[in-house]
Amino acid sequence: MQTPADRDTTPVPNGGAAGVIHDIGYQRYDGSRLGRGYLLRTLFLDTLRGCYGFGRSAKSKIMPLVLFGFGCLPAIIIAVILNAFGGEELPMTYPEYLWTLSMLVSIYVAGQAPQAVSRDLRFRATSLYFSRPLRRGDYVVAKFAAMTAAVLIFTGVPMLILYLGTLLAKLPFWEQTGDVLVGLVGALLTALVLGGISLVIAAITPRRGFGVAAIITVLLVANSVAGVVFGVAQETGRETLSAYAWVLSPTGLVDGVLVGLFDLPAVNGVSPPGTTGCLVYLSVTVLLVSACAGLLLGRYRKVSVS
Amino acid sequence: MNGVVARLTLRSLLGRRRAILLACLPALLLLMAVAIRWMAGPDDDLAGNVLGHLVAGTMIPLLALIAGTGAIGPEIDDGSIIYLLSKPLSRYRIAVTKFVAATGVVLVFGVVPTLIAGYVLTGQVSRLALGFTLGATAAGTAYCALYLALAVLSRHAVVIGLLYAVVWESIIGGFVPGAQALSVQQWAMSLTQRVIGDQAAELGAKAAVGLSTGVVLLSVVTVASVWYTGWRLRGLRLTGDE
Amino acid sequence: MSAIVLSNVSRWFGNVVAVNDVTMTIGPGVTGLLGPNGAGKSTLIHMMGGFLAPSTGSVTLDDEPTWRNERLYRRIGLVPEREAMYDVVTGWEFVLANARLHRLPDPAGAARTALATVEMTNARDRQIATYSKGMKQRIKMASALVHDPPVLLLDEPFNGMDPRQRLSLMDLLHTMGEQGRTVLFSSHILEEVEQIAGSIQVMVAGRHAASGDFREIRRLMTERPHQYTIRSSDDRALASMLIADASTQGVQVLTQNTKTPGTDPEGLRVQAVDFARFVRVLPWYARERGIRLFEVSPADESLESVFSYLVTR
Repeated sequence: MQTPADRDTTPVPNGGAAGVIHDIGYQRYDGSRLGRGYLLRTLFLDTLRGCYGFGRSAKSKIMPLVLFGFGCLPAIIIAVILNAFGGEELPMTYPEYLWTLSMLVSIYVAGQAPQAVSRDLRFRATSLYFSRPLRRGDYVVAKFAAMTAAVLIFTGVPMLILYLGTLLAKLPFWEQTGDVLVGLVGALLTALVLGGISLVIAAITPRRGFGVAAIITVLLVANSVAGVVFGVAQETGRETLSAYAWVLSPTGLVDGVLVGLFDLPAVNGVSPPGTTGCLVYLSVTVLLVSACAGLLLGRYRKVSVS
Repeated sequence: MNGVVARLTLRSLLGRRRAILLACLPALLLLMAVAIRWMAGPDDDLAGNVLGHLVAGTMIPLLALIAGTGAIGPEIDDGSIIYLLSKPLSRYRIAVTKFVAATGVVLVFGVVPTLIAGYVLTGQVSRLALGFTLGATAAGTAYCALYLALAVLSRHAVVIGLLYAVVWESIIGGFVPGAQALSVQQWAMSLTQRVIGDQAAELGAKAAVGLSTGVVLLSVVTVASVWYTGWRLRGLRLTGDE
Repeated sequence: MSAIVLSNVSRWFGNVVAVNDVTMTIGPGVTGLLGPNGAGKSTLIHMMGGFLAPSTGSVTLDDEPTWRNERLYRRIGLVPEREAMYDVVTGWEFVLANARLHRLPDPAGAARTALATVEMTNARDRQIATYSKGMKQRIKMASALVHDPPVLLLDEPFNGMDPRQRLSLMDLLHTMGEQGRTVLFSSHILEEVEQIAGSIQVMVAGRHAASGDFREIRRLMTERPHQYTIRSSDDRALASMLIADASTQGVQVLTQNTKTPGTDPEGLRVQAVDFARFVRVLPWYARERGIRLFEVSPADESLESVFSYLVTR
């Protein structure tokens, strides 16, 4: 690198005699610039990497990677046992595995969503982004996509490990492939729902610690409330209510969609009744995700540029 | 105790957004209680289930997490704690005050609603309602102390606290019986179980540890955590932003 | 009258040595703690304020160690570098809370006095979050002054202040020093240090590079050539005599720019290697040749040059 001092510092006459502007070596850039697409991609990749602590301090890598390891561990164990001792099928279906991951995923998004957006807001870095040819919508799209991808990796990788285990154990190929695809659809839906909810909350709570607490509270409380409503409805014999109780919980919602769409046996009691039920679960999911996207867009429309 | 520290702590704890979040939890609990009572009438089984899951398993740990870490975490994060530390004031006194403030918040937003919800669900000030209220008090106190200590120990106190409350107490505790012996929730449940009496197990208030073990462990954790907070404050390093 | 004494103080963080074997005494009056970023100024102030233990050596205030000694804060007023305060309260409530935390007999009176001292009485009922940077700095100052401490430690107090606020803070620090308080402030803004600090302590890369009156320090650094600008009635004649003398190392005749007269300096620029001898022989030569001296001025006596010399040594 050349420092300004190395450069030619002869004064450049500037018309009149009174003042001169010294050429201290700053250069203008007149070449072509990378456009919006590049910015979007960079922002997406940077956020995604950040969600696993890459490009951040060593300490920030611990939490996401430990959680990710916890999430993969049962899958690895199952795969190993399946290969070592043989077996006709997986001890749990892919959607059931997704269900057992739900707590871990909740903690993961609660930990990562705030760092993905709230630092930009708190230190007013958003104004720097928006002074580029990047539209506010683009920022939201990039962050949402990155968060979704991060959660998808979190839940998808263990499923792929399971799948790999079944292939190595020579379980029926097509059956497993179909099953894992269903599981991956579930993972994608989970990622969209959780990513959306967590980003909305993170974007309105610029303090990191508080953002984490707020997200986990919403997710956990939604889950427990759904569970309690389900339990009470079952005990008092209200079948319709119990069938729709899981709409209240983000993970239950996704399970409902999977069970309805792919005609699976009920996952932990989640089974939407018939076509109507499936449609209700599906439309609530779509509504929820689009509401989150809308709220995020609205939030960033309000962020001042200065 | 120090009045000024308490007031400053409460003011930041009950700031607008935090207060909304804190108030959401009891509001939801009461809403659920009323709805269930309306659907099912007074029912001890249901009440035990609801209070066990919603109060002991979710609400109290979360409230204590928000209050316990919130009582000191943000101040350490942004460095304003220095205004408390640069005073001729015992660090232990600061720790105790913060602990009392956080516990007070949990009492108001967690324990009182528990009693009301118990009353609504069972239709009377029953042993069940009292048992869970006592359990919530004990658990809230211990959690607050624990999370306060966590907040002076690490900047990631909220996530670590969550891992403890959710992963350790619920998930691991669900599979590994030994893990339950090291769970604030279970220790407090021993109190609940004792108050409810013989029917406790049927009502979902079965603790993994005995009463005396529970009480001793609760007290030890609470006292040790508050003491540790004070000790840690004596040598707190005030570093810059992340 | 209080004195902070550091003897053989070192502080390291892991492998990084932030402060390396520093011995200094900060007495009454205003002392400037000077150094570039990362020189260890904040670490020093934190140790003086009792927030860090020295890894070796001792930091004492009036013979009491500062580390883990909470009683000492009765005598220390601390203005931290970071801006964060309890934002949701008003300036008045904040200063009053500080007074109460000190358990002063009349907290309200003390808070009123402190606010008046920093001229924040008018804005005292506004939330701190609404304050400008300078106002926040003054509220921090008020909270440090509220218990009338004999020792004031200020970490980068001039950061982010506009020139007018700077002037008033300089006045305030000056008054505090006059009153016999021990005032220590860190800075890398040299002109303020130069103007108000009775003495300076210079830190460079964790080491105590210099201390005392800055002109005195300057004089002590004899191995460094001193530069003078001289204008006289016969520059070239004077130049020939000066270069012949052992006290100088180089003489440059500054020629006048003919295109734009008056814009460039004219006269001589003299590098003196023997400071004491040079100031003696110069008038003597001048009188001998009948040369009139119009101007003799040190070209680099500002603190800035002392400082940059120390830093780049």
